[in-house]
Amino acid sequence: MKKITFVDVLVFVIIGCLILLIVVPFLNAIAISFATQREYLNNLLMLAPKEPTLDNYRNLLGDQRIITGFKTSALIVFLGVPLNLFLTLSLAFGTSRACFPGKKLILGAILFTMLFNGGILPLYMQMRELKLTNTIWSVILASGVNVFYFVIARNFFCSIPQSLTESAQLDGAGEWRILFSIILPLAKPIVATVALFCIVDRWNEWYNALIFIRDNSIIPLQVVLRSIVMESNISSNTSSMEAAARNFDMGIKMAAVIVTTLPIMCVFPFLQKHFTKGIMVGAIKA
Amino acid sequence: MKRVNRLGRKIWKNRAIYGLMLPGLVWLVIFAYGPMSGLLLAFKTYSAKGGIWGSPWCGLENFRYVFRDAAFFRSVFTTLKINIGRLLIQFPAPILLALLLNECVLKRYKKLAQTIFTFPHFLSWVIVASLVTNTLSMDGLINNLLAALGLEKVNFLGSSRLFVPILYITENWKSAGWSAIIYLAALSGIDVDQYEAAKLDGANRWQTMLHVTLPNLKPTIIVMLVLSIGNLMTGGFDQIFNLSNPAVEEVSEILDMYIYRVTFGSVPDFGFSMAISLFRSLVNCMFLIVADKGSKKLGGSGLFG
Repeated sequence: MKKITFVDVLVFVIIGCLILLIVVPFLNAIAISFATQREYLNNLLMLAPKEPTLDNYRNLLGDQRIITGFKTSALIVFLGVPLNLFLTLSLAFGTSRACFPGKKLILGAILFTMLFNGGILPLYMQMRELKLTNTIWSVILASGVNVFYFVIARNFFCSIPQSLTESAQLDGAGEWRILFSIILPLAKPIVATVALFCIVDRWNEWYNALIFIRDNSIIPLQVVLRSIVMESNISSNTSSMEAAARNFDMGIKMAAVIVTTLPIMCVFPFLQKHFTKGIMVGAIKA
Repeated sequence: MKRVNRLGRKIWKNRAIYGLMLPGLVWLVIFAYGPMSGLLLAFKTYSAKGGIWGSPWCGLENFRYVFRDAAFFRSVFTTLKINIGRLLIQFPAPILLALLLNECVLKRYKKLAQTIFTFPHFLSWVIVASLVTNTLSMDGLINNLLAALGLEKVNFLGSSRLFVPILYITENWKSAGWSAIIYLAALSGIDVDQYEAAKLDGANRWQTMLHVTLPNLKPTIIVMLVLSIGNLMTGGFDQIFNLSNPAVEEVSEILDMYIYRVTFGSVPDFGFSMAISLFRSLVNCMFLIVADKGSKKLGGSGLFG
């Protein structure tokens, strides 16, 4: 048994403080979301409400926007992630195959989109041209091939020995068959990584939706959250009566934050296993 | 003739592979390359009737307006100022965090801490900004704490002096734990022999960190630093868009915010905003290429792995 030194204790305490720094804002938000307006005003350093109430959540769910927002976001995830996976993985597998004419050109064209893009306005005009604005397809189709995940998947596909695919080819299997029945089962960890990161990306989608969708009945949850938070910010300079109403708003606001965070919390434990593979994403996506 | 034939045969032989790539390539053409035609508007006077192709050409007139616009230069300057600050202040945080976690002897505690530190990275800036607003508002946790200690309350979010430091702090709050992973991975690859040798030489913990751990991290640190040059012109839009408010406009309007304002503001001028977008894209592209080349030169993997 090693002796515990002063430095060990110091490290322990500093890490502890940093943990608190991350956790306390969440605890505070959770506490406020379960608190009554009166308690919020009296208990200033609130981390756990004494008389928890579901009123804020009830009020929040009474607001139709949050339900439609949740549905829209879920739909974007369920339709968008398979699309991301299909487009990104098939392209990554195709470009990992043996030499074929135009390979360099295609690879270059894919990677170029990472270096250069026109920004949001040309994309918006394209969506308008295709009559996709004000539909959730504008948000879903705006992200198809993800170049970061493309690079990760391709690196893995390239490391699979060619002999495996060649023998399947001799057996008469087509490229799609090879991808689905030989490569993808081998690439499960990579597929899982990419899928999980795509789920998070899709769930967190807000900017494209903010620009492309004006119809209030199909805006995703993040945009709904934004508007709920903005609402109470606007009424900031006010009298005491209004202040009371605003503080009540605070509970609803934090309830909205928790509802939006919850799905990420559910995915997070699975995500964690794939961190090391995600490092590259972290390195280049920063 | 013969060569064309051979090429044709090669293409035909590989038709299945082209079929494999077709869906992805079609998407790229429609949604990545298609919109680039919109950049032509940078050289045109946009009219809603004419659209991208029908609007009349105007040469470099839009650019002349851009380069005469004081707000444009101010936003470029603000972007560079904020991002250079990020390099100096925000960049070292994940390294320090990794070194700190590396010194932790309780493995389970370290794991728990790492789990907690990485979580906020996966939340959108909409959520994080809401949490920040709640914590830092006039009757938020921090101000109540200040009041309880008998100190004066601070209007954190409405102060143009505090806005930029808050950007650095909140970015680290959100992502330092995630960015630390790459350094921790590099640390786990260090040869145990080096630590044994340091011990035999009688090095204390501080000396070991300084002379064994840190030199081993150096290549990773340099590569990460070079890669972050690629973000000098962009980066931080989500964060700033969600945290800024009219009170801090003068310090928060980075180039991307400015582009948003002229594009979707009250009197949008598509030609003008396309000219700025094109400028931004070209400069950004240049930075990325420099970062990529630099990283490769230093033995890193470059942007494309």
